[in-house]
Amino acid sequence: MLRHWYECKKPVKISKKPLTNPTEPIKKYDAIVVGAGPAGATAAYFMAKSGLDVLLLERGPYPGAKNCGGASLIAEHTHKLFPNFWDECECERIVTQQAYWLMTEDSILSSSFQSMKLAAAPFNRFTVKRRNLYKWLCDKAMNAGATLLLNHQVDDVIFEDSQAIGVNMAPQLNCRFLADIIVLADGANSLLAEQAGLVPQVSPQDLSLYVKETIALPAQVIEDRFNLPPGYGSIIGLVGYPTAGFNGTGSIHTFKESININVGMPVADFAKSGIKPYELLDRIKKHPLIKPLLAGGVTLEYGSSVIPEGGYHAIPELVHPGLLIVGDAASLVNGTHGFNLSMWSGFFASQAAYQAKISRDFSKKKLSLYQTLLNESFVIQDLKANAKMAGLQQRVPYLFNLYSQLANETAYHMSKVYTMPKRAKRVFIFKKITSIQPLTKIASDVWKVLKVIP
Amino acid sequence: MTNLADYLTLLHFTPDEHWQHVLITDQSICQQCRDKPCLTLCPSGVFTWNLHKSEPVLVLYKQCIECGACRLICDNINFSYPCGGCGVNFIEG
Ligand SMILES: Cc1cc2nc3c(=O)[nH]c(=O)nc-3n(C[C@H](O)[C@H](O)[C@H](O)COP(=O)(O)OP(=O)(O)OC[C@H]3O[C@@H](n4cnc5c(N)ncnc54)[C@H](O)[C@@H]3O)c2cc1C
Ligand code: SF4
Ligand code: SF4
Repeated sequence: MLRHWYECKKPVKISKKPLTNPTEPIKKYDAIVVGAGPAGATAAYFMAKSGLDVLLLERGPYPGAKNCGGASLIAEHTHKLFPNFWDECECERIVTQQAYWLMTEDSILSSSFQSMKLAAAPFNRFTVKRRNLYKWLCDKAMNAGATLLLNHQVDDVIFEDSQAIGVNMAPQLNCRFLADIIVLADGANSLLAEQAGLVPQVSPQDLSLYVKETIALPAQVIEDRFNLPPGYGSIIGLVGYPTAGFNGTGSIHTFKESININVGMPVADFAKSGIKPYELLDRIKKHPLIKPLLAGGVTLEYGSSVIPEGGYHAIPELVHPGLLIVGDAASLVNGTHGFNLSMWSGFFASQAAYQAKISRDFSKKKLSLYQTLLNESFVIQDLKANAKMAGLQQRVPYLFNLYSQLANETAYHMSKVYTMPKRAKRVFIFKKITSIQPLTKIASDVWKVLKVIP
Repeated sequence: MTNLADYLTLLHFTPDEHWQHVLITDQSICQQCRDKPCLTLCPSGVFTWNLHKSEPVLVLYKQCIECGACRLICDNINFSYPCGGCGVNFIEG
């Protein structure tokens, strides 16, 4: 199947823009949303619901076609926007177990919380397949009256002076659409705002590259191996070993009949390390304590995607004349949580769009209600609270890996039975640990961490 | 499963026959580029190069999974998205 692709041996030069005159638009919309992800579809839904004429443009052939990795949805934040969403959106498993595994090449020190309290409404988290999540949101937007066009790739934003007035579609579609408000929801690798000179190019340090592998396993096997009651799920954060000495993270998400392993680190670190992204997946799968969890599993899909992880300080200017930037395109991701921030930013954008519409004022000043609402909400408040954490990882690049090793080493000696008295054992462990990292260095790192913990 | 080729055969692509969305702008810059980070960074092995010959760096754009990372590590890479409806399609999330 792949062979004929390799035949394209010579790089083909194709001119970037075939010269065509876009035909004139048939109609003008109140708002155009670019990208039918959680941010865009939510913005489209709430705008359409408030009576705006909305066009939602998506480059993929179905919602979610271009996205992969993760994923879990925090119930509370979603429930506040879409009450009892679990009755409508097909979720995979109700998460009753959340764990962190600090890993070295042959051990795992885990901290895990499991409770059936998390199994009742309003729940805590769900694992979701992106296709179901994106489809559900797009269906809602369409039912509220928005028009969704799939296979529609936006090439650039049209400006009149500095006011955004529409979008040009990719050349072969030979058309453009006009609107009073443009909402850019084109995701983490957002090209449109950058091309238009509205935001700077994201730094390779602030964008993390993740790879994922979906592995099929029977539901009961998943439940047995992860110690779960039928229908319930777990999310496990993997720290240390998975990113081979670099500061990144991995995770395991359990679905109904499959699991996702994800792992990634900043693009800049991949470039520096020379590690091929998929090699990290392989390392995790071969880990002696992970391997038995995957035994008999069949790989269904591989994929890769980026997450903006620059935090609060990486957020660009989000409000422009006639244009708002939402979701990942706006760098609104906290840790690896993006869905909720995306949806809420889409919601706030819809509020600003509505106010602009009724006052017929699409200026930056009028639309800055979006920024105000964001600032007052958990979105910016939480990002601000975590702001220093992002910087810390850059200042102490060995943080995750080294301390994961230290923690495992300590745990190993603690659990091992020695033929020495307790006090001697404590001294012994202390010496072991400080031989890996000198005490003053540990103290200084601990201080750096304590300083940034909100 | 360790082989990238095995991974790629599992993916669903609608190849774009008319538009190469990942390009190298100037091959002479590649000849001077010592580390060639594009070769290891790309999660789907789009960039390949024959170590022993002074051949150009090849761009197998039809197997690109559109993560967009390459454009951030090298200004010599011109990345845009494939035409609407083309490229990779993920099913499993
Ligand atoms: C590996 C991984 C794991 C993750 N895990 C979680 C998790 O567990 N929980 C969580 O909350 N978040 C998670 N995230 C983050 C989450 O995926 C994002 O924050 C969220 O998807 C952002 O939504 P969005 O709508 O802004 O962008 P996206 O979901 O990226 O949607 C953007 C859409 O725009 C379309 N598009 C782009 N350009 C154009 C164009 N020019 N024309 C037309 N359409 C265009 C794309 O095709 C896409 O459909 C994870 C991310 C990754 C990569
Ligand atoms: S594309 Fe960029 S990174 Fe790759 S060899 Fe050429 S100059 Fe180097
Ligand atoms: S976008 Fe990602 S998959 Fe495509 S060529 Fe660039 S690095 Fe490779």
